[in-house]
Amino acid sequence: MSDFPLVVENLSFKYRTRPELAVENVSFELRQGELLLIAGSSGCGKTTLARCINGLIPRSYRGERKGKVLLQGRDVAEMEIAEMSQVVGTLLQDPERQIVASNVFNEIAFGPENLGLPREEIASRVEQVMKRLNIEYLHERETFNLSGGEKQKVALAGMLAMSPSILLLDEPLASLDPASAHEALAVFRSLADEGKTVILVEHRVEDAISITPDRLLYMEDGRIKYLGPIKNLPNEIDYTQVKLPAPWVVQRVKALDNAPVVSPRPEERERSEPLVVFEDVDFRYDEEYPFILQNVNLKIYPGDLIAVLGPNGAGKSTLVKHAIGLLKPTKGRVLVEGRDTRTMSVAQIARVLGYVFQSPTHMLYAPTVHEELEFGPKNLGFEPELISKSIVESLATVNMKEFEEYPPLALSFGQQKRTTIAAVLAMRSKILVMDEPTAGQDFANYTRFMEALCGTYDGGSSLLSANFDATLFITHDIDLAVTYANRVLLFGDKHVVADGAPEDVLKDVDFLTKYRVRPTSLLQLNLDLLPKTGRFLPAESLAGFA
Amino acid sequence: MLVTWKYRLRDTFIQRLDPRTRLIFLFSIIFALTIPEIWDLRIILPIFAISLTLYFMARIEWKDVKRGWAFILVFVIFIVGINGVLSGRGGPSSVTNIESPILFYVPVLDWFGWMVPITVSKLWFALNQIIRMLTMAILAIPIPYTMDPNIYGTAFKRMGASDNVSFTMDLAFRFLPTFARDFTITVDAQRARGYEMESLKGGLVERIRRLSPLIIPVVMQSTVTGEEVIDAMDLRAFGTSKRTWIKTLTYAPRDYFMLGLGAAIFISCCVLKWGFGIGGFFVPDFFTNLFV
Repeated sequence: MSDFPLVVENLSFKYRTRPELAVENVSFELRQGELLLIAGSSGCGKTTLARCINGLIPRSYRGERKGKVLLQGRDVAEMEIAEMSQVVGTLLQDPERQIVASNVFNEIAFGPENLGLPREEIASRVEQVMKRLNIEYLHERETFNLSGGEKQKVALAGMLAMSPSILLLDEPLASLDPASAHEALAVFRSLADEGKTVILVEHRVEDAISITPDRLLYMEDGRIKYLGPIKNLPNEIDYTQVKLPAPWVVQRVKALDNAPVVSPRPEERERSEPLVVFEDVDFRYDEEYPFILQNVNLKIYPGDLIAVLGPNGAGKSTLVKHAIGLLKPTKGRVLVEGRDTRTMSVAQIARVLGYVFQSPTHMLYAPTVHEELEFGPKNLGFEPELISKSIVESLATVNMKEFEEYPPLALSFGQQKRTTIAAVLAMRSKILVMDEPTAGQDFANYTRFMEALCGTYDGGSSLLSANFDATLFITHDIDLAVTYANRVLLFGDKHVVADGAPEDVLKDVDFLTKYRVRPTSLLQLNLDLLPKTGRFLPAESLAGFA
Repeated sequence: MLVTWKYRLRDTFIQRLDPRTRLIFLFSIIFALTIPEIWDLRIILPIFAISLTLYFMARIEWKDVKRGWAFILVFVIFIVGINGVLSGRGGPSSVTNIESPILFYVPVLDWFGWMVPITVSKLWFALNQIIRMLTMAILAIPIPYTMDPNIYGTAFKRMGASDNVSFTMDLAFRFLPTFARDFTITVDAQRARGYEMESLKGGLVERIRRLSPLIIPVVMQSTVTGEEVIDAMDLRAFGTSKRTWIKTLTYAPRDYFMLGLGAAIFISCCVLKWGFGIGGFFVPDFFTNLFV
């Protein structure tokens, strides 16, 4: 029995507050040193399964549990939490929220301190773990000011300091930029190679399989749909549900004999007067602080669908905050429809630029979706008829008509995200600005979402081009730029380092890598096929050319 | 920015003190003035001088601390001072009871014929009150700027608080910047939807209702954060047994000196007041003579 560090037997779980089973009849076991990837779209039960393994179920979340979860032969439900925490270490999705101490040393020492270990032992464990993860240089740093990747390593270190034999990583890549995500993945792989049993819950399958997990457990509606080696994957799993490498998708489309759909080329527009102009913009918060933007020059034209790429902390968000007038340049100027933003209020600029923030919880407050959508237009002083019309249209656009009277805070994350977009749509701004539009959504959801926004129809127009003069989105996901944008801005070193059509900006892989933008299989395949296609296409459409 | 103070490492006598010493010393002064109810400037002024000396020894840069000072001065001078002059309350009853020449009247509610008499004794009381408050405040002001935020938990633990209470201190310092950042993002997000704080019109209820686009997201964020933090702490065995606090604190001779000084001040005040009857409120003749 205890040959397997983890055995899950006929596990079912139903939350007290919900009618349906969150996990149904799940069974599997893991060997020592095995790396298991658990994937599936949101709501498939993977987080619940994770909670059953680390003991939060049944301790913190109430409901009906059937079956067994055995850690080294003992049922989780019967173990003390102190014991269990030394067997399973859990890395939660958002490192920001699982770091409980103000400085790195204290954070890593937190678990061992709670176990009541002697001080010398704690100090030596902290030292070892920092050495193992190469983060000795962070020793005295404040946790709040670390980068996303650093936070994650510190959170991981805090977990490893308790010497667990099983590591449970719950969507650890969600808040990282691609370069940091791949560094994190390499660490997970090496921990498995050292004999830890690693469970990686992640819907970014394409990224995760780069470290060759031993097996994949694919879930749908709380049940195991597939459990087995990665190499059989393309035939078992719907490529529209999880993100697979582009060549696999092409293979699959060909094997299924699906006719590849090539959407019409988006209509070209004449370059008329720019909507937004950045002129030699420098910015810093205070004289004490370094510049965040330096010498930024940029013009946004009608018809632009711009993807802004670049590493975390490069100043992408600061850039768009200047366009919306939330920040004013230290030097230089930003013009919105020809007027200097220094002379305009944010509310005035909001008529031109609608900004969708990354996290819906920062925006949503109203008791119903309807009232949420009313908020912006009312602030801008729209007439009541126009407000009603805008709400109806924007809800239809994001496909959420039936949720009009729902409380937004009770919706799923993806629905909340769509609500925030609808809230900005309802303001009828000319330019739509989105910060990480796909963050927190799974592949199937965000593809549907981006397709709804950017997908082109017969006349070559899309929902975006029909409703907005221009769109700009910040993203880590280079594939979004490849698939949807008609212009790419690469931001790095405090200014725009490349600006142009995706086919031009993204062709120099070395250049991209320099700015921590990691080429993907889709980009590579597109570059290979570019002589035949003449433009970048989504993976499914490439099947017709490969 | 919501959080304006900043801790910085400085090589000063004050920062070399054990954090417990500093908290205990602060409380000795507060208790010395409040428990035996010292209202005699002859006693308050020397203590004020000690507080002021310690403040300058902390060597905090003026630009860091000026906002804190603005707040304290407004509070002490306007709220406490004016309240003292007008009502004379908040201190010993002798302020309002003793015979004292009336300087002038303040027509507070003229149409009811309620004229508030301003007496020499109320004026002296207000002055006392301001200096007394400042004596305590200038000891407290440097603490957030000069005490390592990571040490509060350990300091409270070593002063006898439970693991839960002590770690709550650490958590508060850890999440204060997160909370401030969430608030800033929410303000930005709502402003981008045309929301203007300046346009808060209407009565109190209406104003509060108009604030809900800021308050609700921040409360929601904090709740979600709170739940995840609880999970994270559970998963790392917090509260399962007696915990080790890795940071240690040891008293140095300078700490014993300061603790001794604090105790001496406290005991002297008690002895003077209760043993010799010195330290209560009285208006010195020279002050009365200034006006009469």
